[in-house]
Amino acid sequence: MQSQPILRLRNVVKKFGSFTALHGVDLDIEEGEFFTIVGPSGSGKSTMIRLLVGMDEVTDGEIWLRDARIDQTPANLRPTCMVFQSLALFPHMSVGQNIEFPLKLKGTAPAVRKERALELLDLLRLPQSYYDKRISQCSGGEKQRVALARALAFDPEILFFDEPLSALDYRLRKTLEKELKSLHARTGKTFVYITHSLEEAMVMSDRIAIMKEGRFEQISVADEIYGRPISRFVAEFMGEVNLFDIEGTATGGLHGKGIEIHVNGDASDFGISLDNGVTGTLMVRPEYVRFLTSSATSDFIVRGILRAEYALGSRIQYEVEASAGQTLTIEKLREDRFDGAEGAEVVLGFDADHVHLIRGA
Amino acid sequence: MNPSRSTRIALYAYGIFTIAFLYLPLVSVGFASVSKARYLSFPIKRYSAKWYGDALASDTVRDLLFTSLKVAVIVTVISMVVAFFGALAFARYHWRYRTLFQKLILLPIFFPQTVLGLALLMWFNSVGIIPTWKTAIVAHLVWIAPIATLIVAIRAYSFDPALEEAARDMGAGTWTILREITLPLLMPGIVSAGLFAFLLSWGNFPLSLFTTGADSTLPEWLYAKMVSGYSPLVPTLGVMSVVGSFVLILLAFSVAWLVRAVRESRAAEN
Repeated sequence: MQSQPILRLRNVVKKFGSFTALHGVDLDIEEGEFFTIVGPSGSGKSTMIRLLVGMDEVTDGEIWLRDARIDQTPANLRPTCMVFQSLALFPHMSVGQNIEFPLKLKGTAPAVRKERALELLDLLRLPQSYYDKRISQCSGGEKQRVALARALAFDPEILFFDEPLSALDYRLRKTLEKELKSLHARTGKTFVYITHSLEEAMVMSDRIAIMKEGRFEQISVADEIYGRPISRFVAEFMGEVNLFDIEGTATGGLHGKGIEIHVNGDASDFGISLDNGVTGTLMVRPEYVRFLTSSATSDFIVRGILRAEYALGSRIQYEVEASAGQTLTIEKLREDRFDGAEGAEVVLGFDADHVHLIRGA
Repeated sequence: MNPSRSTRIALYAYGIFTIAFLYLPLVSVGFASVSKARYLSFPIKRYSAKWYGDALASDTVRDLLFTSLKVAVIVTVISMVVAFFGALAFARYHWRYRTLFQKLILLPIFFPQTVLGLALLMWFNSVGIIPTWKTAIVAHLVWIAPIATLIVAIRAYSFDPALEEAARDMGAGTWTILREITLPLLMPGIVSAGLFAFLLSWGNFPLSLFTTGADSTLPEWLYAKMVSGYSPLVPTLGVMSVVGSFVLILLAFSVAWLVRAVRESRAAEN
């Protein structure tokens, strides 16, 4: 990564009347990065992208594009471009005219425009014959590609995406996620992507920012956010998870609150100790929980009753009810399927390597 | 859905009855216009195209047609412009008094036209304007411009605001957006609004009656001739007026078709 970020936000505030959508946000996005902002609806991510492209004005704070301050520059004078959620393809223009639109605005000669449009059709793996097609003749996936081609024709410094895949069916979305990632690699452009889907973010991004109530909760690479979330919110947002409330004991051990966790050995040896009386949250992802047979052991052990089994395609999910009604989720690959009847008593184990302690939660 | 035999018969009967109900009066006027007699009587004994010849040769008829056409064309043009901007205010932008504006703008449509005509005449008098065909334009606009606005607004409602935002994001200024995106997308609505405006103005009687002053439009003259001193030119001009309107609609459709054909051939050339 280069020394100077391409986009910098400093204490950006956005208010709508008495409602504050963004509370003084700071952010650095690096040159050439695929950066994704994830959050539930109402987290402020849509407000964020509208400020970044210039369709809304900041209430306070600064936005810098390299050495230029752009927060007061209107959208049409910013060297950035966005792929809209609705794609916003012009229905009265052909595919070719859509792609050439930004070039026409820049005063590019018609012959050059057409050449560039055909290049972009190639880049997006659309046949050149699509140049004369009407937008209404294109399928959902083809429209996505046309919208991308049009945005790339603009040749933006940063390409923004506002949940462009959310309206598509699962299979097409999966295909386009991979295509977007490969397009990012081929063009070398900076992509800033907004989505509410964790999976989309994980598949494509170099770094992910998790938004909650107008603030960034955590900004990091996917593995870090998935494996070492900073808060319960992030842990739960990033997919299925088992969370246990725990408390440090006087002897330096851990004590489960509302659940009985047996610790094999000394918890402080695992690097996850709490001071006496201090509470925290112990996290383990479902794929790291094992069913223990009589001879096997592990660092942490929980006993419970198998309540349900769900087939998720390549994986099987189990629900185990532990003491005091807390339910644990376990996932196994289909080939590692656990043979147990519903209602059977089971022993669950997981190791310190796969456990993460969220402090202060 | 395939209708059953009895449903099909009912549908045919309904269709034939409706068409007959709508067109029988027109057809009878058509017959009257080619009757040689000076007075309207059935059955027609001798046919003649004489009255058409008279109508085309008559200065009165020429003046009437010209006045009606003048008023209708000006009303159409102003209505289209007002309707375009009005529809944007009506449907596209969110502003403080929008809902009030939406309701107030529709009110004139519900006014009985005779009352509206009389009110306007009194208003013209009180401010010292002598009614002519020009004041009739104002009167027609009061009633027709809201209808035209409504027609364009229906189109404007189905318009994704992101299209304008996308154009702006790619560097288009306000006027470029208007020319390249908003206007072309609303054009079908604007054309239908124009057609309605023309036909409503062309056939309008109650507003014209009060507000044309010494001038006379075609419907006014037809009415005057029917209540005092029937002229065989009445059915003739009636038919000519209907045919004229029909030709106008055909013309509008062929222009729309032509524009599309030209655009497609240009797209194919590129």
